[in-house]
Amino acid sequence: MARTYDAVIIGGGHNGLVSAAYLARAGLSTLVLEKRELLGGAAVTEEIFPGFRFSVASYVVSLLRPEIIRELDLPAHGLDILPLDGTFTPLQGDYLWRVNDHGRTIRELRRWSKLDAEAYEEYGQLMVEMARFIKPILSIVPPDPTGFDPRQFTPLAGLARSFQRLPEKQQAVFVQLMTMSAADFLAQWFETDPLMATMSASGIIGTYQGVKSPGTAYVLLHHYMGEIDGAFRAWGIPRGGTGGVSNAIGNAARAQGAEIRLEAPVARIMTRDGRAVGVALESGEEIYAHHVLSSVDSRLTYLGLLEPGSLEPEFEDEVRRFKFRGSSGKVNLAVDGLPDFSCLPGEGDHLRGAISYSASIEDMERAYDDAKYGHWSRRPYIDMIIPTLVDPSMAPPGKHVISCFVQYAPYHLDPALGSWDDNREAFGDAVIDRIAEVAPNIRDIILHRQVLTPLDIERRFGLTEGNIFQGELSLEQLFFNRPMPGYARFKTPIRDLWLCGSATHPGGGIMGANGRIAAMEVLRATGRKVA
Amino acid sequence: MAQTGRSWDAIVVGGGHNGLVAAAYLAKGGLSTLVLERRERVGGIADTHELKPGVRVPAVAHTVGRLRPSVVRDLALRSHGLHLIAPEVRVFAPAPDGSAITLYDDIQRTADGLRARSGQDAASYAGFDRLVRSLGRFLAELGGAAPPDINAPSFGDALTGLKLTRSFRGLGKHDGRSILRVLPMAIADFVAESFETDALRGILAARGIQNTAMGPWSAGTTAVFLADSAGNDGGAAGQTVYARGGPGALSAALAAAVRAAGGEIRTDADVVKVTSRDGRATGVVLGSGEEITARVVVAGIDPKKVLTRLVDPVVVGPGLRWRAANIRTPGTVAKVNLALSGLPVFPAAGAGPDGERLLRGRIVIAPGIDYVERAFDASKYGGISAAPYLEATIPSLVDPTLVDDPKSGARRPARHVMSIHLQYAPYHLAEGTWPARRDELGDLAIQTLEQYAPGIGKLVVARQVLTPLDLERDYGLTGGHPYHAEPSLDSFFLWRPLLGSARYRLPVEGLYLAGSGAHPGGGVTGIPGQNAAREILSDWKKRRR
Repeated sequence: MARTYDAVIIGGGHNGLVSAAYLARAGLSTLVLEKRELLGGAAVTEEIFPGFRFSVASYVVSLLRPEIIRELDLPAHGLDILPLDGTFTPLQGDYLWRVNDHGRTIRELRRWSKLDAEAYEEYGQLMVEMARFIKPILSIVPPDPTGFDPRQFTPLAGLARSFQRLPEKQQAVFVQLMTMSAADFLAQWFETDPLMATMSASGIIGTYQGVKSPGTAYVLLHHYMGEIDGAFRAWGIPRGGTGGVSNAIGNAARAQGAEIRLEAPVARIMTRDGRAVGVALESGEEIYAHHVLSSVDSRLTYLGLLEPGSLEPEFEDEVRRFKFRGSSGKVNLAVDGLPDFSCLPGEGDHLRGAISYSASIEDMERAYDDAKYGHWSRRPYIDMIIPTLVDPSMAPPGKHVISCFVQYAPYHLDPALGSWDDNREAFGDAVIDRIAEVAPNIRDIILHRQVLTPLDIERRFGLTEGNIFQGELSLEQLFFNRPMPGYARFKTPIRDLWLCGSATHPGGGIMGANGRIAAMEVLRATGRKVA
Repeated sequence: MAQTGRSWDAIVVGGGHNGLVAAAYLAKGGLSTLVLERRERVGGIADTHELKPGVRVPAVAHTVGRLRPSVVRDLALRSHGLHLIAPEVRVFAPAPDGSAITLYDDIQRTADGLRARSGQDAASYAGFDRLVRSLGRFLAELGGAAPPDINAPSFGDALTGLKLTRSFRGLGKHDGRSILRVLPMAIADFVAESFETDALRGILAARGIQNTAMGPWSAGTTAVFLADSAGNDGGAAGQTVYARGGPGALSAALAAAVRAAGGEIRTDADVVKVTSRDGRATGVVLGSGEEITARVVVAGIDPKKVLTRLVDPVVVGPGLRWRAANIRTPGTVAKVNLALSGLPVFPAAGAGPDGERLLRGRIVIAPGIDYVERAFDASKYGGISAAPYLEATIPSLVDPTLVDDPKSGARRPARHVMSIHLQYAPYHLAEGTWPARRDELGDLAIQTLEQYAPGIGKLVVARQVLTPLDLERDYGLTGGHPYHAEPSLDSFFLWRPLLGSARYRLPVEGLYLAGSGAHPGGGVTGIPGQNAAREILSDWKKRRR
């Protein structure tokens, strides 16, 4: 008879590993089960072409919670984040280039608009204040507003008090961040189109929304928080790719005593009398545990891993209602040279940061219009990174890898277009065409090209509908509604079954907060001292 | 500047329906009250326009069913001449293929009609209607109270909070969770949770985008949809209620109520400035230079205009002025009003009295979510929708007084009038100017209707086109926005129009906001005016103490 673990965790993505590390640290016997032959989930480094290693899916780190880095001592376990400097927006005949050097950025903005250069300072300070205010939300357990237990509202009362202490203008800006579109929000300060377009881009990353869609200002803040964490050295690209983050967390978990098994796909969650008692692997092996934590998304957990009939039909309807709608693709390039931008030819520091293909708000919005009607963007928005300029170990000497995050690529295509398998290369071509508009040499330097559609992301990483956040970050799917009303406190209707992935509050990105809070909730339920 | 006449307790700037409601309550409360209206007659967008002699048409708003019942009761509007007409057909929505969806006031009858298309939709309809009414009831409670002061909650705020908490609990777990989930949702998603037929989704979703610069896929449009059903008999189908004599008759009844309570009304009186001393409002200055003093100034007009153009910038201060200048007023609505020589024939309705009866509701052209979304897309880039969303009414079918000309006794100049709400026509055009493109809108409305009512163009004997720019110039709506401020999530409840100024009190003492720019927002409801008057009277009593 095999042993019974205190906790078994489905999925060795960054959140599953964070949960494992915290549970093991508290003394629970903990086992992580990962389907693939390597750790990390979507935060993974793979050698796709011989000698070329890629952060295949997730490609930058901006949100990893500083307390996790500290508490799990991740640098000692191999985490090394290399700073990315700036954002370069190539245009026809000109460019907009913001860098970490504040003075240089202001001079660059002044070239475009004196008013914008002034507003940029005010805006930057305001966003620092906003992030400072909102950060505590990332580490609280959302209350159930229809619940009667007043204790669950305690963290909110603290927030309300700090809200009251904000100056009125900051209060108002906070409300706008929670409700407005990124474009409308930014238009209050700025007039330079490429600046607004590039800044608004972080409001749509990973969502099926346009920069003019209400609610995208929140996603803007969601991503901005990482940049503000720059002081904590948590923004940039991990040495060795994003797999480096996962490996560091995995090492930390092992150091705390957690076991990790690779190539151990879970077939189903075993329940008895309405409580989870363990998991059965696809191999048929059964593993028993007092607690089962699932770091995969809510639809996969509830509808894919539980025995049919374990849940009420109404509950299952609500699970189906949770929106995924993956909207992004990834194009990874192995190249033997660097892209040469007509507006700023040659090699230079402008290639060492993010290169944003976001010339205007209208370009961004039209890319979304295509997607609304089930077509991939004919002229997509691209966020390009050349990691080898910062971390040459990713490619053979003299060669480079280029990572292109692309929007929009809607999971549900117009049936007239056929399937994603029929569209993959045409989509890849559209990406290259867009790059070639401003860097005509791109076609000449490509050695290999990998195109990941949302369907590929679903197949490869087990992310439903290819949504990189395990569910849309739309307003109705946040906080006490994530992943569904009444079940946002990491618990599920099945006793001893917990969710700990990006599908839970506070959402996606390499943040780790979800895994950490979930572990705390499990520990609280077991009556153990939390952290 | 000439200072003339007496000093008033309260001056109401703008004689739109909310201004009149506020004035009537204030006068009833014992305040000497003067309403100043810029136009030659009161009513604002609740207006009846004489298209040609003997032919009258709703100028801007065409239905009045959202009017709060307690306003009608408190101000005895029926005795002041208000007569409401509610046909049994709420919505008639013809499709390009000649079929149609009809929504009646009778839920069962509506569901029966849907069955031919989809058994599932027919089965879902009653439940959807129940949910809309339940959530709408809660929103009506929310709308009937002034939002609390979050920085210094008073005892009254606590009571309101308790009352709202009780109403929220009263929703039960299911509806309580629903409202928190669905308010920020896109209306396209909300209707898709209940219905599978795109045509049905389209006509329902249209109410979530009506008068907004949003499309059915924009977050927060479900809140607009539910607010439209809040506190009235709208339910899933939405209200369709006419005032006999057109919406101007409602305004006339309100004006009569103001006068009956002792208030005065002056038209052709354009307020160009709100005066203040030591941070307190002291009165107004008219375009003529005449200065009128009052202890309280109540703005029925939009908040952006009040704060950026009427009050001294020094008094407003740079921070608030920046915020007020950023109040979003993206007008997207145009009106096309037609005088017709006969009743247009909609083949989808059929001929004869039965067909005629179907046309008594709102005739909605929104045959699908994508149709409406594409109409919206054009406006994002400053273009007019090639295939617009229309909501048309033929009020003369239920109210022949609109086309009767008893005095002449001669041949009627028109047999019917049609009032068409056209969306989207953005205030900011990418190409050309509105005066140069006005006629395009009239042609567009008729061409669009030709696909559903062939031959309608030949019936037109007169037409009026109001562009968003006309709505701004003629009716004083900043940006041409009929709701004074976009009814989006960033302008809702505690932050409508601005956080810190959502309690009808603007940041100048004695200056109040009573129009659609205040909570709970736009539409012919009278609620902002009623709420504002309650707050003003409460402050008045405190000062007297």
